[in-house]
Amino acid sequence: MTQPSPPPTGPESTGSDRLRIQVARVVALGVLTGLAAALLANAFVAAIGWLNEWLLISPRARMMAAEGVWLPLATIAVPTLGGLLVGYLHRWIREQRPHGPAEVIAAVQTRQDDLPARPALISGVSSLVSLGSGASVGQYGPLVHMGGSLGALLARLLRSDVTVGNIIVACGVASAIATAFNAPIAGILFAHEVILRHFALRAFAPVALAAITGYVVANAVLAQPPLFQIESAAVRHIWEFGLFPILGVASALVAVVYMHAILGVGRMARHLPLPAVGKPALAGMGLGLVALWFPEILGIGAQTLRFAFIEGAFAQWELLLVLVLKLLATAWCLGMGFSGGVFSPALVIGSLFGALFGSGLGMLFAGGTSELVVFAVCGMVAVTAPVIGAPLTAVVIVFELTGSYELTIAALASVALANLVASRIFGRSFFDRQLRDRGLDLSRGRSKALLASRTIGSLVSTHHATAPADAHVADARQAMQTADATSCHLVDGTGRYVGTLRLQRILQAPDHVPARDYCGRDEIVMNAETTVWDAMNLLRDFIGEGVAVVDADNRLLGTVFESDLIRAYLDILEDMRREEHATR
Amino acid sequence: MTVSRALPLLLSLLVPGAATPAEDALIVATWGGSYEAAQREILFEPFEGEGNGKIASVPYSGGLDILHAEDPPDLVDMSMSEAMAACEAGLLQSLEGLELPPSAGGIPARDDFLPGSRERCAITHTIFATVIAYNRQAFGSVRPRRLQHLFDLEEFPGPRALQATPAGNLEWALRSLGVPRAELYSVLSTQRGLDLALDQLDTLSGSIRWWRDGDEPVKMLETGEVVMASGFNGRFFNARLDHESPIEILWDGQLQERQTWVIPRGAARPDRAREFIRYATGTEPLARLAERMAYGPARRSALRLVGRHPQAGIDMGIQLPTHPYNAESAIKKDAKWYAQTYHRVLDRFEVWRKRSSGRKTLGADQESRVGPPT
Repeated sequence: MTQPSPPPTGPESTGSDRLRIQVARVVALGVLTGLAAALLANAFVAAIGWLNEWLLISPRARMMAAEGVWLPLATIAVPTLGGLLVGYLHRWIREQRPHGPAEVIAAVQTRQDDLPARPALISGVSSLVSLGSGASVGQYGPLVHMGGSLGALLARLLRSDVTVGNIIVACGVASAIATAFNAPIAGILFAHEVILRHFALRAFAPVALAAITGYVVANAVLAQPPLFQIESAAVRHIWEFGLFPILGVASALVAVVYMHAILGVGRMARHLPLPAVGKPALAGMGLGLVALWFPEILGIGAQTLRFAFIEGAFAQWELLLVLVLKLLATAWCLGMGFSGGVFSPALVIGSLFGALFGSGLGMLFAGGTSELVVFAVCGMVAVTAPVIGAPLTAVVIVFELTGSYELTIAALASVALANLVASRIFGRSFFDRQLRDRGLDLSRGRSKALLASRTIGSLVSTHHATAPADAHVADARQAMQTADATSCHLVDGTGRYVGTLRLQRILQAPDHVPARDYCGRDEIVMNAETTVWDAMNLLRDFIGEGVAVVDADNRLLGTVFESDLIRAYLDILEDMRREEHATR
Repeated sequence: MTVSRALPLLLSLLVPGAATPAEDALIVATWGGSYEAAQREILFEPFEGEGNGKIASVPYSGGLDILHAEDPPDLVDMSMSEAMAACEAGLLQSLEGLELPPSAGGIPARDDFLPGSRERCAITHTIFATVIAYNRQAFGSVRPRRLQHLFDLEEFPGPRALQATPAGNLEWALRSLGVPRAELYSVLSTQRGLDLALDQLDTLSGSIRWWRDGDEPVKMLETGEVVMASGFNGRFFNARLDHESPIEILWDGQLQERQTWVIPRGAARPDRAREFIRYATGTEPLARLAERMAYGPARRSALRLVGRHPQAGIDMGIQLPTHPYNAESAIKKDAKWYAQTYHRVLDRFEVWRKRSSGRKTLGADQESRVGPPT
């Protein structure tokens, strides 16, 4: 694949030529990215399944393994050794932790082309090890991250600009989700709701093509069974639609507890007097020990999900017990440094909670309510949607996997309030909270995040007037005249910044007095790491031409001119608006 | 086990038409009834006619006990899962080196056989189905349409005849609870899943009659002793054909399994047994057998040759369990899973069956004959 050639500009060039090239480009972009991400996603899911069989994690393998000492031994050894390997792998990542969907969101939202391939590869492998060795983590987070990173890699190969690059990243994510869930519409929605966070017609076409490619690959090339399959479920009474929002709000609270638990264990793990390499191993050992009695907590938990849908598979107290265990196991594994997602465990926890709610109602209304599976699905969606911050995606997944319109509307009713409630208490999603804790706050919109992600470093100019700290006013005046500037920075003998002299202050000043006496008292200074957002806020009450930029030792680096700053501000916002609204 | 010593004697007494085995006869353990009759006509007699000596049959209705006998038969017509379990236990001869003839059109055997047909000790000859059937006179205008109706005693009351094996019953119990086909064996692998399946079967307790011999469910349906029954699709088909029985097959949830030829480790005539397998898995005999028994042949070339029933003249293609029309919701039996878990699942099932019959089942006197080998 080579970079599509630019449109011909000769006299023969017509509008239809350009259109054809543009369409060809969009098709190539979407299909190519979709195909690559889909094959990767498919191989990833298949490899997890294979590892789970081979390492005696999947129930089928555990059942088939002869009884005896091997099974309990493997139950403890496999997650422990898996954790050790994961710990070692993460040493090769700069931040010493796996990357995930948060990195993809940050790269796209801040329009910074920085989704590096190396940590993506290492995180992908460590997720595979985590999932393969039975850690209680999800598989979709790694898939989103790998799909996005693959898109970013392609974007770099195609030397596309940031806007197109973001679209390719979204294509990779959409295809990975479409493949893994066998749900192309959900893939498209997820890419828009979580990654791009706007709806641009220009992005829709390639993203849709990528998702469809993923769907085709999922079905035609390497068929994988869907995560969950529900054959039939009906809402028995119309008044039950009034119950679903209540379930939704309760589920949002469960989601908040779940997310806090993960972050809490993470904080605790940081204070644990143990080398970072050993923490996932310890987590694996703990998990394996508990799994000797409750094998439900191992792995993704597809069987638990299935049982939550079946009336009578769990007693009520068992629903609660397994829910709490799964929640703790996931927080334990993720917090202690296993690599993986938050989505699949949320599905399990949510469906258990929904089933608990439904069976409680069943007792209250003496069995007059809908089948348990309806509530389990609603709980599943309403816990998951706040965790990933994608209510529409969660609802559409239900529609695509069940084909039941009634169930989808029930899911919609339960999600309606869930995201609102959870976002008020916790934040838009688990990923946004992770980013906020790392200093990227998306809660005040994309423009703030964008401006806060750019520094003024590139705007620093040395085309300014300086004078020695002991200079007289006349010297400073002379320096300003020479530099054609309206201000002059005073610098001492070691290059340290002393103050700034503004022209309007020395207009009446005698020549032979120290210039220093006329420096402003609360002069603003910035450094190269000051963000455009902070710089704009600092300049709110500023009158003048430029601001001194100093380094950590207070040495003068240059000046940032207000006009440059405003131009940068406008450019950043204009690029964002073009990405979000322009059609060509 | 002493039963096997008595087998030839039993056979001569119980199986009509079976010859007393001559000293050098090839002993084939197979399933009796119309099935064995067809085998005799299409496989045994032509094979004998080619100067291969006599073939004598001994009755067999599943399980591994027969392999533990002091002088086991030379060949057993065994289900794939049991064959794999027996192979694992070292009770069978390896058939890996056995070369099978190409199809009549020259397609090599390895491309002609359906995938998964050959295992170390077993060669698949047919794909049969255990299906649910019902007596169409037992219900009014509303008839069972789906697998779930097996468990619906309200709408379809009456006794049910079920095979006294875990296979089939467990799968159907879970399917009726909405477990998708792809998840059946994963769910059955958990304690909770197995309990769930047995609990669902418990809802029928008191209405179950257990059967072991393939002809029993046919008779029970015909006499009206039961209203629904599981059974082998070929037996039901032949009953309809031969005595116009009012039996209807419910293809929904049919459990497909491979039926294989195996040679016990202690077989006295292994060479002739191998020669027989080569003959019996040829394109032509497989196609003719399918026309008589309505079981799917393991070779693609044979499937293409399947025509009409020799006497009745009905098109047999659509009667096969593997026909796309019938196989839409077929459950493929996980032979590997059963092979590895054979004794544990069987023990569990038998314990449940005893407990359940202790409560209220009819035919509580029936004892397990397929228990673990001693």
